[in-house]
Amino acid sequence: MKDQIKTFISEITFIEKETIADDTLLFEEGIFDSMGLLSLITFLDEELGVKTEDSDLNEENFQSINSIVAFLERKKSLVN
Amino acid sequence: MSEQKFTKEIIRLSDTQNTIDSIVAKLKEDVIKVLRRRGGVVGISGGIDSSVTLALAVKAFGAKNVLGVMLPEKDSSDDSKALALKLADKFGVRVVEENISGALEGFGCYQRRDEAVKRVIPEYNPQTDKMKIGIPVEFLNSNMPPVFYVTVIFADGTEKSERLPMNEYLQIVAASNFKQRSRMSMLYYHAEALHYAVIGTPNKHEVQQGFFVKYGDGGADVMPIGNLFKTQVYELARELGVPQEIIDRTPTTDTYTAEQTQEEFFYQMPFETMDLLWYGWENGFSPEEVAMGMEKDEQEISRIFKNFERKKKTTDYLRMPPIHNY
Repeated sequence: MKDQIKTFISEITFIEKETIADDTLLFEEGIFDSMGLLSLITFLDEELGVKTEDSDLNEENFQSINSIVAFLERKKSLVN
Repeated sequence: MSEQKFTKEIIRLSDTQNTIDSIVAKLKEDVIKVLRRRGGVVGISGGIDSSVTLALAVKAFGAKNVLGVMLPEKDSSDDSKALALKLADKFGVRVVEENISGALEGFGCYQRRDEAVKRVIPEYNPQTDKMKIGIPVEFLNSNMPPVFYVTVIFADGTEKSERLPMNEYLQIVAASNFKQRSRMSMLYYHAEALHYAVIGTPNKHEVQQGFFVKYGDGGADVMPIGNLFKTQVYELARELGVPQEIIDRTPTTDTYTAEQTQEEFFYQMPFETMDLLWYGWENGFSPEEVAMGMEKDEQEISRIFKNFERKKKTTDYLRMPPIHNY
């Protein structure tokens, strides 16, 4: 899952996958803006089947690859 | 720490008349000598920015060399025309009205926008309901980039808001931008027909934060108030004698069918606050100094400064001319 997300972020930002660390701060370092975030939300919904609610939209869930993975795991555990 | 102390008065103009004189002198020099045009066309909406711009243009070129163009369309607010006419009358300029609704119908502006809204809120009926898009204020208090929501106000007064997915957000914005770009085309028609320049109306926040449409309201030959904070625009308005009703009017976007202030749509805070914060950020004051001067929380100021940085960076594209040095 981590690799899938990294690949996706790399594809939409045109940034080499290897340069995005698991704890890179995606917003603070200017990798992701509003459009990136919206693309990611669509990707999570369509490719990974995870719907992002309004209340999920916070830094804790989206600031880095690690945060996104943890968010997805939490969401999936709620479903199961 | 900066040498100057940060206070709430820091952006007040020390000499309004002097500011007017220097803008007018530069405007005249730029249009007549640099651009070699013989007057100016200003799109007037009855708002404060276009009113001050028109008044400055009149001072620079004389009323007989300025044309005010009203550019309403079917979503425009009703009082815009009356205020624009009052302004033109006050400054003695010729005024023409060009309703751009037909051009917008031709471009499919309304249809493309409404299709996207309906994909998110299927109950939306453009014939009877009103719509707007905006950023919830919560985003200001986080380091997250903002996402937009669409709100439909149904005919019975009830409202429904939904977060916009990327494609729908982009389609609504792209379709709505036909409005500013059609206005720009019409302004250039009149400017070219008279051998005038198009005098743009964006203020400093609009230019610096990217609250304009590239080649729309951002398409102009000169922008005389482009370096003025909104507080300063109001100071100039009073000095220039802009009608009081215009000064008292709340700045709106006048873009979507539902009424919406600029604060609600984009800035997320009153302009007086925005002006001070931007001034502090731009002039290298620390969050601590600004927090002290504005009696606010330092962490909140740090977050807002980060948002400014991001906004400036993500909107660089809008301010860039075409890149041609290949």
